[in-house]
Amino acid sequence: MPSFIVRPENLKELWKLLPSLPAKRKYLAGGTDLVNISNAGLDDSACWLDISALDELRGIRETKNSVIIGAAAKISEIENSPTARRWLPALVASIPHFASPSLRNMATLGGNAANASPCADGVCALVSERASVWLELRGKKRKMPLAGLFLGPKKTALKNDELITAFEMPKWKHKASYQKLGPRSYFGISKAAAAVSAGFKSGAVEKASIALASVGPVPVCAVKTQAFLAGKRLTEKVIAEASEIVKTEVSPITDTRSEADYRREMCGVLVLRALHRLKASQKIR
Amino acid sequence: MKSPVRNNLKTSTFLLNCVVNGLGMEREVMSSRSLLEFIREDLGLKGTKEGCGEGECGACLVLVDGKAVNACLMMAVQLQGRELVTIEGIKGKDGGLHPLQKTFMAEGAVQCGFCTPGFIIASEALLRRKPGATLEDIKLELTGNLCRCTGYEKVLSAVKKVASGR
Repeated sequence: MPSFIVRPENLKELWKLLPSLPAKRKYLAGGTDLVNISNAGLDDSACWLDISALDELRGIRETKNSVIIGAAAKISEIENSPTARRWLPALVASIPHFASPSLRNMATLGGNAANASPCADGVCALVSERASVWLELRGKKRKMPLAGLFLGPKKTALKNDELITAFEMPKWKHKASYQKLGPRSYFGISKAAAAVSAGFKSGAVEKASIALASVGPVPVCAVKTQAFLAGKRLTEKVIAEASEIVKTEVSPITDTRSEADYRREMCGVLVLRALHRLKASQKIR
Repeated sequence: MKSPVRNNLKTSTFLLNCVVNGLGMEREVMSSRSLLEFIREDLGLKGTKEGCGEGECGACLVLVDGKAVNACLMMAVQLQGRELVTIEGIKGKDGGLHPLQKTFMAEGAVQCGFCTPGFIIASEALLRRKPGATLEDIKLELTGNLCRCTGYEKVLSAVKKVASGR
């Protein structure tokens, strides 16, 4: 545990405080990863900056073309947000699979992304929602596609002291399914997971956006599968073919949670299940 | 209710203002304290348990602003300006045992009892939000609570009985 935690009132104060703080420092948001890492003796920070109560990082709002979620909004707040439920079906579908109810009252998407674990459910769903991420450093803001933030397991493109402030997702009409394979139905870490979003036009897929977790060093965007699906109706043959293509796009490893070959095979199964779901939901309309 | 934390960088302490089980308090706390250490060591409220210390078991659940959180992974500093309810603050309308506590006892949903405060807190959080919770709601809400004695069936039936008003 660091010897102290500071709690700035707003971002302006945060940037002002930085020079007076020890160089070894980290941001504390929900704490569900950082406190654990620290308890395991894997964090040598001299100081944490608690950003969990900063109003500028909270809230879920809409603009004309996008939905913006503050980096420190709690996962449970997103789950209950009418805006998220209307525009972000992949993200909302992933939430029951995100840790446990009490951890969802603490955890944030900013922390989920900054932790850069390839198995992060929230990040996988956000990539499928075609999210961008807003970053800020001493008042200077920049935006990048979320997928570009991840350089490897636990490695991000964040500069020293750079803070994730928000996620911005385009408003596009789509249906989505989140399929996760873990050691049990809920509250487990993924062996593999797939977030599949698709917009439809005249009964055919207009645009698909597929992200997978735990099957590569970073969240995997299944670009070939997406390109294959574009313009096609979800027939059994198309679904079967897509679920074969996706297996060529992942690079899983064998570790304590699962084996590489099994994970690769399961990516096909998860995408197959998700596309069947999307097909069924289309019929309801 | 939001008031600034007065950070004291020299002594590594801060002045915490919060409400604990209905009582407002102001206290100097080490800023490296977890919420669980604050509750058990500083306040001496031993009803909240430490099981795994990793957010997996739910034995340390408490309510912060009415929502269940894992006290082992929250820092005391994050309680600033907020309202904490521990198992000691869970009471029935008459000041005696809460209906959940009575029903857990009647149903035999308690064996060693170590996980029980966490189960009561999680169930209370659910029933405040959804008084008529279904069995499926209850199962989902309790996914973050582990019990090694009861096999869960009696816990689920106890919460269901309270939700059904029986």
